[in-house]
Parts: sequence; C-alpha cells; structure tokens
Amino acid sequence: MKVAFKTLGCRLNQYETDALAAQFSGNGYEVSEQEEGADVVVVNTCTVTNQSNQKSRYVISHAGRINPGAKMVITGCMAESHAEQLQKKFPEATVINNKGKSGIFHSVDSLIKTGNADLSDKDFDLFSYQSFTEMFHTRSLIKIQDGCDNFCTFCIIPFVRGRAISRPVEQVLQNIREVVAKGAREIVLTGVNISRYESDGVKFSGLVDKILNLEGDFRVRISSIEPDRFDDHFFTLIGHPKLAPHLHLCLQSGSERILLQMRRMYTVKDFMEIVDRVRAVDPKFNFTTDVIVGFPGETEEEFEETMAVARKVGFGHMHIFKYSVRQNTRAQRMADHIPDKVKTERSKRMHALAEELTANYRAPFDNTEQRILVEKWSDGVASGYNDYFVPMQFTSVNKKRNRFEVVQARVKDFEEA
Amino acid sequence: MQKRRFNLHTILEKRVLTDSTFVLRLEHNGLEFTAGQHIQVGPPNGIHTREYSIYSAPTDDFIEILVREIEDGVVTPALKKLEAGDSVVVNDAVGYFTIDKEVAEGKQFLFVASGTGISPFHSFVKAFPSLNYTLVHGIRFAEEAYERHHYEPSRYVACTSRDEKGDFHGRVTDWLTQNPLNNDTLCYLCGNCDMIHDVYDILEKQGVSSKNIFTEVYF
Repeated sequence: MKVAFKTLGCRLNQYETDALAAQFSGNGYEVSEQEEGADVVVVNTCTVTNQSNQKSRYVISHAGRINPGAKMVITGCMAESHAEQLQKKFPEATVINNKGKSGIFHSVDSLIKTGNADLSDKDFDLFSYQSFTEMFHTRSLIKIQDGCDNFCTFCIIPFVRGRAISRPVEQVLQNIREVVAKGAREIVLTGVNISRYESDGVKFSGLVDKILNLEGDFRVRISSIEPDRFDDHFFTLIGHPKLAPHLHLCLQSGSERILLQMRRMYTVKDFMEIVDRVRAVDPKFNFTTDVIVGFPGETEEEFEETMAVARKVGFGHMHIFKYSVRQNTRAQRMADHIPDKVKTERSKRMHALAEELTANYRAPFDNTEQRILVEKWSDGVASGYNDYFVPMQFTSVNKKRNRFEVVQARVKDFEEA
Repeated sequence: MQKRRFNLHTILEKRVLTDSTFVLRLEHNGLEFTAGQHIQVGPPNGIHTREYSIYSAPTDDFIEILVREIEDGVVTPALKKLEAGDSVVVNDAVGYFTIDKEVAEGKQFLFVASGTGISPFHSFVKAFPSLNYTLVHGIRFAEEAYERHHYEPSRYVACTSRDEKGDFHGRVTDWLTQNPLNNDTLCYLCGNCDMIHDVYDILEKQGVSSKNIFTEVYF
C-alpha cells in the first residue's frame, strides 16, 4: 500500500507531514511525495493567504486528476477553516481537522482495511506525533508548541490552530534525544508562536538552553519566531557552538503605525535592538524575515519605511506577502484597503530589494570554508546549508547525505551582485 | 481544549452609563482569565463577535464588559438591545496585556486610556487593590468618565477635549507633556492607535524604556 503526502505552507505542516509519513512507513506502508500510483493521497493544506487556499485547492484537484482511483484525505488549516466547502467540492474525500491530524494514520488505516475512515471522537494530542528522522527532510523538525493567542489583526491562524499550548519540556528533550540517537544532525524547532513557549515554568530561552546542553553532534536551528518576548537569557545563548547563527525573525512592517494597526506586540525599535544585540556577538548572524506589503492604510512612506528597515538589517532572505483579506479578522473590517495594483507594484519593489540583499548577504561566504550539512548529492556535487543557512555546494565523491562536512565551498547558484 | 469554544453566558444586569455606553454583567460560567485579557462577545443568534477587554476582576463572581455602541456597527447595536435574562456568546479569554503579580507591588504604574480603553485598567485596579497607579483617561466630555468613583480621586485624571468639566482640559498627550514621569514607571496604554502612537513617543522622549511600555490597541 502506498500513501502519498502533499504539503503546503509552514514548517509546522512539514513537521506534521514528516511525522505522519514516518508512522505509515513504520507500519509497512510505502510513502512518497508523488501521487502517481498511490492508494491514498493525504493533502496537508494551508490557509494563511488567499493564494494558499488557491494552491491547496489546486493540489487536491491535481492529485485527483492524476490518480482518480486514490482515496483522498484533506487535512490542515484549510480543512479547519473551509471544511464544508472542501467536502462539497470533493465529496469523496475524507476531511480531517487539525485536532484530528495526529490520528490520520488510524483514520487511513481503517479506511483501507474497512472502507471507512475511523473519525471517532478520539481526543488526539496535538503533540502525539512519533519521533522520526530523515523522512522528506534531512533536517529534523521538532514541534515544541502549537496555537497562538496573539490575534494579529491580519491573521487567521489563531482561528484554525486554536489556543497557544506548549509541549512539556521533557517530551521535547526526549524527542530530540531520540532523533539525535537515530542520526539527526540538525534540529529545527517549530511551532506556531514559539517565542511564547512556556511549560513547567520554562520559557523559550530556558528550553533552548536545555536543548543545547544535550549530548550529541548536532546543531539547533530556530525556525520562524516573533520578536516579542526575547529575554536577556536568550542573548547569552548566541554564539553557542550548537546554535545555528540564524533567526527567521518576523518583521511584517517597518512602520510603527502599521505595526500597531497589525496589533503586533513589538516596535521597530525593539526589532532593531534584537538585531543589534545579536550582531554585537556575531556580526555575520543571518536574519531572514516575513514582510506584508499593502496592509490596509499603508502609505507609500510607510512602505518605504519597511524598505529602509530591510536595508538596515540586510536580511539574508525575505518572504514577501501581499496583504490578503482573511475572513473574520479585524483587518478585514479596516478602512483604506490597498488596490491590488498598488500591492503588486510594492511587492515587486520589495522582491527586487530582497534579491539584492540576499546576494549581498551571501557574497562573503562564497569560496570560503564552511561547515555544511549535506542534504543532496548529484553528479559529483554535494549541497546543503551552512550554519548561517546559506545554501552551499562543493564537489565530492561522497554520496552520503545527512553528514557535516567542513569544506571550501561555493554559494549555490551564486551570481555576483 | 485546543479549539476555540464559544459558550452562552446569561446577562445578569445592564448598566447604562451614557447614551451610547453601557456595562453588561454576565454570569461567570467558570471563565478563567487574568486581569487585562480580552474576550470575544456577540449576540446569541449571530455569527459576528467583537473583542472586549474584561472590565471586572478575576475574583468577581461575574464577568463585565464595557461597550460603546457604534451606530452603523453589526454587533454593538444588537448587544445594546439585549436585557437581563438574554444571553451572549463568549469565547475564551486571551491576551498578554497583563501585570505580573510579582511586580504589582512596589512599582509605580501609569495607565493611559482613551474612551472605553479604560476597561482593562478597571480590572487591574479591582484585581490589585494596593496598586500604586495614576490613570489618565482621554475622553471628549466629562460624562464619559465611566464610573470614576471606582478609582481613588487622587489617582484618576479625566482629560476632556471638548468641555472643561474634567480634571484637565486637553488631550492625554498634553497632560503627559506637562506632567513628566519617572522613567522607571511601568506604562500601560490602551485605546485607539493614534493615541498609543503619540503617547509612546512622549514616553520615550521622557526616558521610559520600551521594555516598560505595554500597549493594547482598540479599533
């Protein structure tokens, strides 16, 4: 029996797909990211923007066209927010919300064995995914938290992921011990709002500290994080040999007024203070970010403020989103929505800047000795990311993946700025 | 536990404060919260809700919210029509605009509110009776000094912009400019975006660190 997984959206979705795939694999199923020949296709959807919804619908339709005989399971955030619409559009599919996601193996197993998906009211734990390593990603994603209570005015995630909840410290540590024992070399901490992690009196920095003190040859990467709860303890961890010098620190806007309208819980000044404190320890530290352009009421000057902050930080990479209305969020009811033409134009300018900044950031790494976690090997070229999350490549006869190599390397696809 | 759940709460009492503003007292129904947090409230038969900072204290055996009617609004006119005995839907309390118990004692607090943004401060003052605070309330007319008798007179400043019947004639920004504070004061700002933006600037110029400034935006 073959189960195919199609995943959209964030690292947390990737983690959950990888964990589910590992569970199927461990129970004798063949797993794949290609829908051809699959008996079951699981689509893990995303709803963070309108485009995410469109992509999710497309992936479901496409999988159905390629493999009409396969049983379809739809889960993830769009299955949470648009369950009825999806069920209506894809009547043969089984739609499972986020709460039931960790129980998908049981649902699909019963679907295959009995013809009916077991969708009983089992209260599946948001953290009851099994440990795994090397499923669809070389990096080992570890879920430490779920849900969000911030209720940013543009964001639908609190409505589809629910209240903030942190995974108990010992569960996280045990999960990491297990994947490191299985050979994981890079641990990526994931969640919806990981800076709000708090369990058993341990906050995010305390958890990271404990993880860094675990035995083993691995590095820890912190995935997307909000800049609203950094304590002094966190800054003492910067420079730790096991902590990758990279943060995906979400800016969203460089305008103080827009940040207030977004109900973000930090100021531009706070953001810059974090950058400055970290770069005082490691001047090459890589900051990547998310930015929304065309938020309701954003003026040309406020957009330029975001461009200016981006230049000042010198982001290594930027995810740029044109603001899109999400139903029932506060921003939906705001005045002065920006015409799509203006949003598109601003997005283009921001993308042009982002490309320039990425090239500028990566240039000093080119042709230098770096520690690289090898993720791919093809035609005598090994590639992967260095500690700073710069994609690198080098010639190698060693085809082995998931190994550290300290080597003189080129930045992947590098062109001089 | 993870999915947001709405519950029906019966209205115990409605206190009319002005033509457009009223307090809804709801049955408690076991709703857990920390002073300063907010809930979403809506009429029982609709799909729309709005966010309200909780006006009452966690120790009260009821929940209160302070509501100002928006004439063309979808939710507030419906809430205004409700009476004691009717129900509203309420979801779980969320938010980080709170005071740590450990710091409540011995610190100087400045609360700056515009309009119904006074709600979380009402909850703070009830929750921490020995709090050392000054509450600066920006309103248009003195009649909008909602239930000012709940605060110690020496700690409450009504800044009225449209009449001279308050404690100070002018905006909260004017009052703050004329009354600079110690830069180790913990400052909590709740209200409209423009007020918060302007007050933030003034406080920073007076030497208050952004770490000591906490904001809750009302729309």
